[in-house]
Amino acid sequence: MVKLEKIEYKPISVRDLLIEIKDLSELMIDLAYSAALFNSKELAGEVLELEERVDTLVYLINMNVMIAVRDAQDAELLVGVSVVASAADKISNASADIASLVLKDIGIHPIVRQAFEKAEEHLIRVKIAQNSILAGKLLDKLELAAKIGVDVIAIRRNKQWMINPKSEKLQKGDILIVRGAPHGIEEMKGVAEGTIMKLEE
Amino acid sequence: MTGKEDRFTTIANKLAELKNTSELMIDLAYSSLLLNNVRIAEEVQTLEEHMDDLHTEFEQLVLSSGFKPEESKHFLGLIRLGVTTEQIADAGAEIAQVVLRGLQSHPILKTAIEEAEETVAQVQVASGSSLIGKTLRQAQIHEETGMWILAIKRNNIWTRPKPSTVIKESDIIIASGYSEGEEALEALASS
Repeated sequence: MVKLEKIEYKPISVRDLLIEIKDLSELMIDLAYSAALFNSKELAGEVLELEERVDTLVYLINMNVMIAVRDAQDAELLVGVSVVASAADKISNASADIASLVLKDIGIHPIVRQAFEKAEEHLIRVKIAQNSILAGKLLDKLELAAKIGVDVIAIRRNKQWMINPKSEKLQKGDILIVRGAPHGIEEMKGVAEGTIMKLEE
Repeated sequence: MTGKEDRFTTIANKLAELKNTSELMIDLAYSSLLLNNVRIAEEVQTLEEHMDDLHTEFEQLVLSSGFKPEESKHFLGLIRLGVTTEQIADAGAEIAQVVLRGLQSHPILKTAIEEAEETVAQVQVASGSSLIGKTLRQAQIHEETGMWILAIKRNNIWTRPKPSTVIKESDIIIASGYSEGEEALEALASS
């Protein structure tokens, strides 16, 4: 039997929900293409995790919109919100389809690499190891962009996602989605996995 | 052998074009909603038609590439990737249609887009602007203003710019970033 999360109405600001769904859907496209480019099942797995979250968000947005509508004028003003939520859901589903290609070993023809690798920046997924110097540090204090030229664009802690994190305190076991030039990304991987114990400038 | 490689390069380029066009459509679609701009929304619809043609050309190229049975999985992957770019493009077209149907967006939609992408600004390059004649790499717009250039419209065509794109007078630039950057960008684009 398919087990799906039970969704209950929660009074959350539609604005906050929209910001989250828009950010997540755009992150998913980037992650999915990166998963295809590097044939990475790890990145593909993250895309599927995010898809679940986006599905939940669409329900919550629609429920909150329904409650907010009192008359025809409200309906006209708010229908756009539902359209955007469903478009973000479509993007999320398309990204999940790309991820499934990778997970089901359908295989991505090597020329895909040729098509996509012109992008100068790459994405990876890293997990913070127990002995990593990142554990316990505040993200903004690490100055990763200045030091090694990478940005942490998302953090996943168990089921919870933080998109565009700023001053988050990193913990061991956190999954980081990192964007940057190939060299910086390699270094970031070592730092997160605890094989590099110092951030080189 | 070179014939086969050429064909692969053509397929790869076509796929890159599909991917770039679909992502440009999403950016423009949100911009049209935020700026309540019918012209930008119309561009998204034009790009959607362009996508349909590109997608057909791409599928024909893949199907006529003469692959061996054992390679069919790889080629199936290509076809599926093409389909997803098309779905992403459709999502962009749907967002832009809200504007084309004359529906005023609720303020929360605008604040959400502004906060998610910070803000989207549209500027036109004036005749005396210091940007004219520079490539985007030379212009250092992101370094100067904090704004990322999403799209440039020239001769009625929107393109997703490359670092080597040379800025010309009358170009319309759409950029996203923090609101402080918007003024700085306007200053750069004016004479």
